[in-house]
Amino acid sequence: MREQWRTCAAIAGNSLRLERRAGEALLVVAPFGAVALLLIPMAVGTDVPLLRRLGPGMYWTVLLLFGVLVILRQSSLQSPAQARLLALAGVPGAIAMLGNAVATAVLLVAFGAVLAPVVIMLYDPGMQGWPWFLTVLPGVAIGLALLGVVADSLVRWLDARSTLGPLLIVPLAIPLLLGATQSWQAAAFGASPLPWLLLIVTVDLILFLAVLLAGHLLDVVT
Amino acid sequence: MKPRFDLLPPLAMAVAAVGVALAFIAPPDRVQGNLQKLMYVHVPAAWIAYLAFVLTLIGSIGWLWRREPRWDRLAAAAAEVGVFFTGLAIALGAIWGKPVWGVWWTWDARLVTTALLFFVYLGYLALRRVTEDRSDRARRSAVFGVVAFIQVPVVHFSVIWWRTLHQPPTVLRPGDPTIDHTMLAVLLVNLVGFTLLGAWMLRQRFRLLAQLEDLEDALAARDLELAGHSIETPKLEGRRSDV
Repeated sequence: MREQWRTCAAIAGNSLRLERRAGEALLVVAPFGAVALLLIPMAVGTDVPLLRRLGPGMYWTVLLLFGVLVILRQSSLQSPAQARLLALAGVPGAIAMLGNAVATAVLLVAFGAVLAPVVIMLYDPGMQGWPWFLTVLPGVAIGLALLGVVADSLVRWLDARSTLGPLLIVPLAIPLLLGATQSWQAAAFGASPLPWLLLIVTVDLILFLAVLLAGHLLDVVT
Repeated sequence: MKPRFDLLPPLAMAVAAVGVALAFIAPPDRVQGNLQKLMYVHVPAAWIAYLAFVLTLIGSIGWLWRREPRWDRLAAAAAEVGVFFTGLAIALGAIWGKPVWGVWWTWDARLVTTALLFFVYLGYLALRRVTEDRSDRARRSAVFGVVAFIQVPVVHFSVIWWRTLHQPPTVLRPGDPTIDHTMLAVLLVNLVGFTLLGAWMLRQRFRLLAQLEDLEDALAARDLELAGHSIETPKLEGRRSDV
């Protein structure tokens, strides 16, 4: 068991090292997301009270939609030969998927951390209950990463991967988006965001089980 | 005794026609008037969509367990039928919603989760369309067919879990149905009629998928023959090929 977790950590480390060299998530996707946050007020109007209300929702929507680009970069990093090599080395599909999910979750947390000051500066949202954000962001990132690796395995090496992947991920990510936006709202109105955090954790656990199941069933694909 | 599938189309058409005729005769709702009669198609459409997605789940699990093509065909055919009837239920709900609620669409939990269900299974069909290898297609879509089903109970229980504008269950609930019994009888006839129509559509799609697979096999066999011929020495007209 310990050996498998070491393998998982090695795969995650390898993926993060590749990202450090390429800088795709933080040097390309993050500025793209920041541009989207800059464009939205031009489309809906630059009314400050309106933007204060929209800010948190826009932040999580951009994180979800642009996070899909971060998630789907996995399949462009790994070639069929590399996947076969991992399979021949006896690495179970679920462990490889979990390794990739860990790397993607770390990148999504970093992506969210880069976007947070942008949304604070442009939208000036209320900062009540900001400590909750420190727990909600990793929860959402883990959920998106787990959902992403399942979807990524389903569309791996298909020609339409970049268009089909978002269609599979986004509708199933709605509970995470709801949990994130509602926890912010609950904190803003003085209620406890704990039930929404529990929703995110429950979704994360279900997706963790889905990765274990899909990893076993999709082993032949990868 | 072998099931008489040839009787399915006339039976489905007859029961559905009787159901629609009864819907016209049934008493109108005291508040909504004749607009309520859209329910006689809207509810069966939603019911068949649920049923079809259950069949997609069964087909997906069946394929993962037995690896037989017929399970994959069942899952695919049922998903197509389910997507069609989900779209129909959404469209009819919007047509009903405009005069009753004043809007085509409202951010109600049932409506939003149904729209998501529609997009999740559109994704399922898209995944099938872009995967060329048959076995690979069956495996990928079977896994997604199992994962996608999570959305179905969420749609059904959305009216219980959240405060919604959409009415809570009136028939599939513990205790006596909260609907006038004449209306309920007409609704049940329509449910049977539309279920038979759905079964007919499912069978047609199932058979068509089998025929498409036969066509794919025939084309693949033809391509193999061509590849075999291509290894012969090319002969140019008017030249000797024996030197």
